[in-house]
Amino acid sequence: MVKSFLLAFPMMVLTFVMLSGGKMSDDPAKMFAFAITFLFVNILFFLMIRTGKTDKYRSILFISYAVCFIISFITHLIELRGSMAISEANMLDGRTPFCHIVIPMTLIPAALTKTIIFPGTIIGSFASIASMFVLWIGASLALGRGFCSWACFFGGLDDGFSRIFKKPLIKNINLKWTYLPYAVLFVVVVTAALTLSPTYCEWLCPYKTVTEFAEVTSVKILMQTIIFVSLFIALVIVLPLLTKRRTQCGLFCPFGAFQSFTNKVNAFEVRIDQEKCVKCKRCLQVCPTFSVDEGSIDEGKMRITCTKCGKCVDACPKKAIFFHVKCTPLNSTFDRYRVLFLYPAFLFLTTMAGGNIQDAIVKTIKLLTTGSMF
Amino acid sequence: MNKLKTVLGYTWGFLAIFIVLATFMGRAYFSRTLANATGVTVSPWYSGGEIAMTVDHGSYKTFVHRPVFDGLIWDRKNGFIQINWEPFSGLPPVVEERIDYNGDRQEDFLVKLDTTTGNASLVAYSPDVVSVENTYKLTKGWAVRVLLKKKP
Repeated sequence: MVKSFLLAFPMMVLTFVMLSGGKMSDDPAKMFAFAITFLFVNILFFLMIRTGKTDKYRSILFISYAVCFIISFITHLIELRGSMAISEANMLDGRTPFCHIVIPMTLIPAALTKTIIFPGTIIGSFASIASMFVLWIGASLALGRGFCSWACFFGGLDDGFSRIFKKPLIKNINLKWTYLPYAVLFVVVVTAALTLSPTYCEWLCPYKTVTEFAEVTSVKILMQTIIFVSLFIALVIVLPLLTKRRTQCGLFCPFGAFQSFTNKVNAFEVRIDQEKCVKCKRCLQVCPTFSVDEGSIDEGKMRITCTKCGKCVDACPKKAIFFHVKCTPLNSTFDRYRVLFLYPAFLFLTTMAGGNIQDAIVKTIKLLTTGSMF
Repeated sequence: MNKLKTVLGYTWGFLAIFIVLATFMGRAYFSRTLANATGVTVSPWYSGGEIAMTVDHGSYKTFVHRPVFDGLIWDRKNGFIQINWEPFSGLPPVVEERIDYNGDRQEDFLVKLDTTTGNASLVAYSPDVVSVENTYKLTKGWAVRVLLKKKP
């Protein structure tokens, strides 16, 4: 107990600084939201340390983050431009917030034309392009594809839906489907370069259903809207419910595919201790992003797509799966590897989630006390 | 050698927490540095391109952007030119302006905008001027995009 508290205490200090931004608000609603958020995240972190369970408590914060992000984002957009719909005038004004999923599509045009193919702003304003690039670079260096389970403000949605049923109704999924995100990545990067427009955002992004979308003013935009709503229902709700997997993240997201490569440039990985492993394949059954297969069990390491969510680590009955720091000895008894990973990962998640959770609490208090969220 | 690798590994892992702190605490600074170092701008297909000419009418100004034909490597055959009129408060009910978009001292089109309804009409004097693509009510004023064909 004392050891757990001592390990959790530095996180309390860090989260206090990051959530408060170094200053406290005088607004009682904001103070209340800060206190609730601070307690919420630190209880979760303490439980992570105390129980040794990672994914169990990560998922609570991750799903809360996604839900609160949507509440906060939509109300913010309505305050900023009066609607969830983006008009062409909004685009010309650069009033579209930039999202990390666009990053892979922007790189070739940026290299060749020195321009970013997105109707946002480079710096300043709300979710500017340079600012989101900085977040992406920081998260990639610290966590690799851990971005998808510890930073992505959308991932919590299909993560949440994948946990509703106790058992999967669809069990056998051919692992060939896991190459689909690379195909989607290739297609959107090439088409974005050829058309100089973010084609995934325009045609395929399911999350536009719950954040923002183009104002329907033509048959083309109506078709785009039908496609992204259908993809949201299929990939974020229905398939996660039926398969108990994060199907949008694991089988479709081009950013996820792109982000897999960053697993090579950061210090953390998930390994399997061959001596302890009894090949029960529990990890293979629970991995939400199809990042374990027979080959990875034999090799003792996860596939490149691993998002470091920790679900396999929690589920392994023999404690053969463990977080590992590259270049250090392979020894699953070392809990210090896990703690060393949890600090940057949890701090990243808390800092990203904290503002949205606090904002959603404040908006909810406003709704309850005044009848309006604005 | 193994000990050195272990020390380096732990150092690498330990640095991750500082990367996270620096990412958030220095986000504004790093964003500006990244923008300045790369010099990237928003694609002219969205921003309308740089302003090439400003005409001061007293109560309002006309901003003529450069023609946009930008492609990934070569220019495209079809493009547009954006004209902005600002601010709203100084605009007459109808603005009417002749534009020489390519600077050859020959007027290329006449554009007329009803600033109460946003309806615009165009008279082309040059074969490379196609039509009005759309009119846009922006934060500061009105904008019109005129479709163009690239001269061979």
